[in-house]
Amino acid sequence: MSNHLSTLISDVRELLDSASEVYAGTPTAAQVDVLRERLHAPLRVAIAGKVKAGKSTLLNALVGEQLAPTDEGECTRIVTWYQDGTTYRVVADLRNGESRQLPFDRVDGAVQVELGDLSTDDVDRLEVTWPSSALRDLSLIDTPGIGSLTSDAEERAMSFLASDEEPTAADAVLYLMKHLHATDIGFLEAFHDDEVSKPNPVNAIAVLSRADEIATGRLDAMASARKIAARYSSEPKVRRMVQTVVPVAGLLAESAATLTEAEFQGLALIGKLPSRDAESLLLTTDRFVNSTSDVGLTSMEREQLLKRFGVFGIRLASTLLRQGTVSTASELSREMIARSGLDDLREILGSLFAERRDLLKARSALLALGNLIEDHPAPGSEQLDADIERVVASAHPLNELRILSAVRSGWIQAKDEHLRELERLLGTDGQSPRARLGLPPDADDDTVRSELLATLARWQRRAENPMTRHEMAVASRVAVRTCEGMFAAGAG
Amino acid sequence: MSDTSSATQRMTDTRAVVQLGIKAATAYNRPDLGERLSEVLSSLDDRAFHVVVVGEFKQGKSSLVNALLSAAVCPVDDDIATAVPTFIRHGEEGSAEVVYTPEDDGELDAPLERESIPLDRIGSFVTEGRSSGRRIQTVEISLPRKLLSRGIVVVDTPGVGGLGSSHGTLTLGALPMADAVVFVSDASQEYTRTEIEFLKQAYGFCPNVVCALTKTDFYPSWRRIRELNQGHLAAAGVPAEIMPLSSPLRLRAVRTKDRELNQESGFPKLVEFLNSEVGIQRENDLINRAINDVLDVASQLESNFAAEREALADPESAKALVERLNATKEQTETLKSRMARWNQTLGDGVADLAPAVDHDFRGRVRTILREADEAIEKIDPADVWEEFEPWLYQRVSHDVVANYAMLQQMAADLAVRVSEHFDDDSADIARHLEIYDPSRALDATSVNAHLDIEKATMGKKAMSTLTAVRGGYMGMVMFGMLSSMVGVALGPFGMGIALVMGRKGLKDEKARQKAMRQAQGKNAVRKYCDEVSFHVNKDARDTVRRVQRQLRDHFSARAQELNRSANEALVAARQAAQTGVTQRESRLKDLDAELRRLGNLKKKAQAVLTPEAQS
Repeated sequence: MSNHLSTLISDVRELLDSASEVYAGTPTAAQVDVLRERLHAPLRVAIAGKVKAGKSTLLNALVGEQLAPTDEGECTRIVTWYQDGTTYRVVADLRNGESRQLPFDRVDGAVQVELGDLSTDDVDRLEVTWPSSALRDLSLIDTPGIGSLTSDAEERAMSFLASDEEPTAADAVLYLMKHLHATDIGFLEAFHDDEVSKPNPVNAIAVLSRADEIATGRLDAMASARKIAARYSSEPKVRRMVQTVVPVAGLLAESAATLTEAEFQGLALIGKLPSRDAESLLLTTDRFVNSTSDVGLTSMEREQLLKRFGVFGIRLASTLLRQGTVSTASELSREMIARSGLDDLREILGSLFAERRDLLKARSALLALGNLIEDHPAPGSEQLDADIERVVASAHPLNELRILSAVRSGWIQAKDEHLRELERLLGTDGQSPRARLGLPPDADDDTVRSELLATLARWQRRAENPMTRHEMAVASRVAVRTCEGMFAAGAG
Repeated sequence: MSDTSSATQRMTDTRAVVQLGIKAATAYNRPDLGERLSEVLSSLDDRAFHVVVVGEFKQGKSSLVNALLSAAVCPVDDDIATAVPTFIRHGEEGSAEVVYTPEDDGELDAPLERESIPLDRIGSFVTEGRSSGRRIQTVEISLPRKLLSRGIVVVDTPGVGGLGSSHGTLTLGALPMADAVVFVSDASQEYTRTEIEFLKQAYGFCPNVVCALTKTDFYPSWRRIRELNQGHLAAAGVPAEIMPLSSPLRLRAVRTKDRELNQESGFPKLVEFLNSEVGIQRENDLINRAINDVLDVASQLESNFAAEREALADPESAKALVERLNATKEQTETLKSRMARWNQTLGDGVADLAPAVDHDFRGRVRTILREADEAIEKIDPADVWEEFEPWLYQRVSHDVVANYAMLQQMAADLAVRVSEHFDDDSADIARHLEIYDPSRALDATSVNAHLDIEKATMGKKAMSTLTAVRGGYMGMVMFGMLSSMVGVALGPFGMGIALVMGRKGLKDEKARQKAMRQAQGKNAVRKYCDEVSFHVNKDARDTVRRVQRQLRDHFSARAQELNRSANEALVAARQAAQTGVTQRESRLKDLDAELRRLGNLKKKAQAVLTPEAQS
């Protein structure tokens, strides 16, 4: 398996090298260089969805800093890339092809870029370089999101999802979904945000954002949100676009990740109140801010707390403190992050994206290079195109991805249990042989070996069985190759 | 609270007066008039003023209903939405029953099957929408609540699918039967375009709209949202009031009997609105109409006594009187006949109605087909069919409802025109028979009454189930049709080859398959629209026929009554002319007594009328 992947990556490198030769001395050369760099850069994960879905909030939570401005209005108006680096720097890529370094300021921690004489329309994207350990393995892309219905000019016209075989700026995407009924006409709206990527079950995850609002701030809100996310994950129309759905209470995650000592003191004061008093204080937001009861916090401080944590956050924090579950700021922060669902999201990001990082980057590079050749034919580019086609068609890891999305889209029909096994074997649960075979991580080598043999035999039978449908037979052959790859890599 | 008791007293008084009227009609041997008053009596007893609670998924509709009635009748869940409409009316003891959707091949007018269920198990029925394999049409609940005692019925509508979906449009189609609409949206964000669109249409169907802004306890910036929403409403031309509400606060206030908290929850304002704008208002309308009928019946009963008395009191003029009554009788004969102007108006109107509605719908379908074809050109049905289908359903149902609105408006206009002509023609008769003319005293309410004929015609049956039962204009089209396109499968098409084919080959093969799917998709849309058109057309025709029949029956019955009254007056006057001098005195005394009695009935009836309705 890792053999397959390393072959693919060296193939892609070779292709890029030949492309450099073909385009040497032409304006296109720079674009090839960009593709080459991309192969070495961290995986790019875009955060997409509708306006006000909480994209910037989630980005801040993932970085652990209040980098992106979040506000009641629409904040993010330009696609902004956040990447690791050695200096703090903001560069604007302009639509006319120039780049320009811009001055910036930090307001409450958030990076406020001064555009100066530029208008938002002049700027293609902003690149924020920020030394941060959280950005070392992932670059994050914040998007303005697609507009709310109110701002749509066209009356009842409907836009539909674009195809997923186009090259995109991001290697993977997080889609922020609202809590909607599955039959709602706007249910899939989040996936229409195709500025930086297209939904695809191999490189996209959906996040049920603003999860704390689902139960209007009850303490068990996250349990409800998890139930809903699980149901969404089993919806066929969601499955064909994303791997899975994870609930995250964005505001809670962001505030917990950036909790200050002063805020902790404020929350502790509320936690000291008898639970009955705290409950009546938190009955409504108006009461919380305007109450005359003596908590030790001014009305303005309370308003600030409310803005940062929301009713849910304050209820949760004060309950945790009152029950003694946590007693210090760092404990509280850790507990709230765990409860916000952010840890789960990080884990899934790690297992789904990080392990498949090189493959996803290679895929992006191939798609982009193919497109580039189509747009800029040059002497020798025809041969290059043929080479790309050869690599795309023969690279086993890409076939795995293709079969995966075919399974998710319902193209391949077979028994459900067979399809689940196929998905697992192709790497939905993780890339290690144990994960692919559905074995526990601590299974010993003998178990792995015998399971691998049994699996290989099973899929060979399916591939050769004349009763197997054609599509499933093709898929089975890919599965067989996956098993053979694991043998070759020494898993057996 | 004295207001409440006096209004209920008025209802009791009204019933008493109507019953007196029935007695009088029976005593004077006019079963036709008695029957009319019996119908009035049952309209009083069956009164239901529907307050329909609508809104997008998860905006807190059911919570609002629960808080409003301070009872946990509508299940509230973080995820599962209400699937069937729930009707909550007044009842001395709390009870609940489910009404099943009849089988497709069942008799159209067969009574709906019902089953009692325990109050605490409503949840599973309302959210599942099914019970032992049978589809549930509605759930009906009775609760002993003062708010409901005047006849208000609160309807919690399904949140499934959202306002923009076909379900939402279906709700819209049932709004003409509503007496008030409570539009629910939470304070998390301002109105979306779908919501404003819905509000605009809803306002057209039922102008009594109030906007509830829920979850004000949870969202700190609800004031800002309210402000934004007020702007949206003003721009849309919907003069509805926005009421900030907090359901949890209200429930807590009820539990702890905390008056101040109750005020803070905002619910007292909503209760006040429902009481005054719906409860009292609609009860007044109903009472005024009932009283008018009693007055009319009493006058018709009077007419023959009055004629007899006139002939007795002044034998000289008896001959002239008989002649005049003869002429009046002739007039009533004409009024009864096909030649009557109202009857011709009705015939012509109905003949125009059906083609106009049909033409309108054809035009709409053409537009839809064009839009759908354009959309399909741009997409690959394999990728987005799941999105396309709801879009199409929504698009189609939107136009079905608009078409329905047009039919309804035209039918209402026709009803008004017919009744105007009837009134014109009968005014002369009424004058001669000295019959009480409601249009003299009650211009406003009589017009209302006419409009209500239309309402009853179009909606009486549909009224009982929000989703307009089968046979109604919408029922067939919506339930029968909306699922039928699901059967259009668009894949898989030998994708297996493409899976391992080279990139270029893959592209060509994909393009070919895409074109094929597009053609299939267009075909499916066409077939679907054909089918819908067929049903809409049929339902429209049926509805028009029903309108015609009900209007004709109504006015024929009135003409028949007038004819009989004129006839009896004529007979009475003739007999009086032959009465001997000796009997005259005692007969006059009798007649005066009868007239006094009827006069008393009229006086009693007048006393019940609202001050503004008394001239």
